Amino acid sequence: MMRSTAVSLALGYVALGIVALVLFAAPLWYAWQVTIQDERVEFLQVDARRLAEVFRRDGAQGVSSFIDARVRMQIAGERILLLTDESLHPLSGNLPAWPANVPTVPGNYKVKVQLGDHGMQTVLVHVVKLDSYNLLVGRDNALFAPLQTRFWYGLAAAVAILSIAGLMIGLISRRALLTRIDSIRQTVSAIIHGDLKHRLPTHLNDDELNTLSRTINGMLEQIELLVHGVRNVSNSIAHDLRTPLAELRSRLEELALIRPPPEQTYAEIDGAVADVDRVIRIFDALLRLAEIDAGLRRSGFVALDLADLAASAVEFYAPAAELKNIELVFRSDGPLPVSGDPILLAQALGNLIDNALKYAPENGAIEVAVRRCGDGNAEVSVSDNGPGIGDSEKSKVVERFYRGDASRGTPGVGLGLSLVQAVAKLHGSSLVLSDATPGLRAAVTLPLDAANTVALATAPPQTAPGSAVPAPVTCVRVPTSTSS
Amino acid sequence: MKILLVEDNERVAQFVVKGLQEAGHTTDHAGNGRDGMFLAASEPYDVIIMDRMLPGDIDGLAIIEVLRKTGKRTPILILSALTEVDDRIRGLRSGGDDYLTKPFAFGELLARVDALHRRAKGVDTEVPLTVGDLHMDPLTRKVTRGDRPIALQPREFKLLEYLMRHAGQVVTRTMLLENVWDYHFDPQTNVVDVHISKLRQKIDAEFERPLLRTVRNAGYTVTADD
Repeated sequence: MMRSTAVSLALGYVALGIVALVLFAAPLWYAWQVTIQDERVEFLQVDARRLAEVFRRDGAQGVSSFIDARVRMQIAGERILLLTDESLHPLSGNLPAWPANVPTVPGNYKVKVQLGDHGMQTVLVHVVKLDSYNLLVGRDNALFAPLQTRFWYGLAAAVAILSIAGLMIGLISRRALLTRIDSIRQTVSAIIHGDLKHRLPTHLNDDELNTLSRTINGMLEQIELLVHGVRNVSNSIAHDLRTPLAELRSRLEELALIRPPPEQTYAEIDGAVADVDRVIRIFDALLRLAEIDAGLRRSGFVALDLADLAASAVEFYAPAAELKNIELVFRSDGPLPVSGDPILLAQALGNLIDNALKYAPENGAIEVAVRRCGDGNAEVSVSDNGPGIGDSEKSKVVERFYRGDASRGTPGVGLGLSLVQAVAKLHGSSLVLSDATPGLRAAVTLPLDAANTVALATAPPQTAPGSAVPAPVTCVRVPTSTSS
Repeated sequence: MKILLVEDNERVAQFVVKGLQEAGHTTDHAGNGRDGMFLAASEPYDVIIMDRMLPGDIDGLAIIEVLRKTGKRTPILILSALTEVDDRIRGLRSGGDDYLTKPFAFGELLARVDALHRRAKGVDTEVPLTVGDLHMDPLTRKVTRGDRPIALQPREFKLLEYLMRHAGQVVTRTMLLENVWDYHFDPQTNVVDVHISKLRQKIDAEFERPLLRTVRNAGYTVTADD
């Protein structure tokens, strides 16, 4: 049998069980033996007393015939009786002679005696003196033998059942454990070989192995997400960086080949610099995303007022909205103390507003709203009345470099919403996209920070006058698993 | 202006030195940390441009820390290929005055060097600012051009104040974002330009001589000169 935790454990329990059984049985056995002994002695003493009475009344002759009558009446030879004279010559009784190993001194003795057809038997005898006569009263112990045998059999059976059951349970649990561990091992080796899709089997119950499996599955989920993200990013980088690099290359190659007049050369060089800037811009966005994803930015967390942050972002973008004749409205119902990274939150909010500005139609409307949710969260949302995003596309837009059909031809590198999502995730939240009918509503919730006193010190909120933007819906928080 | 450039990359150094000389600055170049440390400690410079990662055992931040400990207050612009916000904060905390990530546009570098030099000469935040016939009193927050008062929003005031404090110098969009809005990211769209054109509407629209001018490929400047 293989050594395994389950079997050793079962063996241990079996041994413990046997020890407990013995500890229980031993005193019981002792008490039982003592009681029986006392009882027997009592019996024999009663017998002897009665015979002594007969002796005192009727003399040796009387008791002798009384004994003989008794012996004759006896069916099973359970009683042993013997009366002898001084010289140990038997007068009456069912023993042929005074046993050599029994002294003639009064008392109780445990001796082996030849009992007719019963063979040698251990019996308890009581010896008394009736004047000069010796009287031996005994009882055959065979009567109790079956009881003792049954006791020992019972004990042995209990030990056997305990051992077998223990070993069976050990083997079965070992098998069950091995099966589960084996499935974990197989899954893990499949993952080692590169197939990240596998997950450990889990059950409904909540035992340790299951909890462990779930935790490992969570880890795998995260790893797959990251690996997928990396793969996605490298594909997208390949595509999105290749385009400006290809343009740059052909521009420079053309310059080298054609050697156009200076004026044209300068214009081409300016174009080349713009191409490089575009590459750098994509690069910076990617690095920032990687930095946020790695969760390294928590050091930048400070106490801040979300309402104040949103107000400045709105103020920053207001002239751009004005230029497009878009009504940019800010709604706030007071300071919202949260803990977060002001730079990243400002950038995320900036991206959302920037996005809304891109998609809201001419003469459209954008509403930036911050509010307190019922569940101790603060929510910041940006709604526009542009074309919105179809449900099927909602999860895709947060993907790196994804650009919806509507965005073709608009500037941008397709990392805006992924950055918002990454920032939200860093703050333990996620970007929730919903329909503003018409248009898109993008919202991020952050837990309110009660210990934050920064917000209380700030000025009362500036709420811009009314607008035609749809009323806010309730705060929705979704677990962060949108970017895949 | 006398400038020290500590930069190990030969090409970048050559490009920067040439550009600075063309802008009229005397420039010394050190190619490693030891030379950089020696020059920075022994020569009086107006501004030091320090690459953060240098070959050898002395890196840029170490030099800055030593300089600051020995009481040198020369303004230092850190150049770095590290873009993470934390790196920036660490750089500024070690005693650097400004931080520019590689790759950079030369115009951006020049503008920042000018701004650092100006700042080092001391800024009196209470003295009224004047550019041509444009006046700003930071205390009363009154802005006038000629004899006409100009009403500005608080942020427009801050924007104009920053431009006027750097009058005659080129101020880049990134510098405006960082100093006027405290935004340390690229807002993608040309929002700064829109703010500038709004401000221009208020201070220049009805006057013959524009003061707020666009510098191609670099940024903006407020100046009364031609």
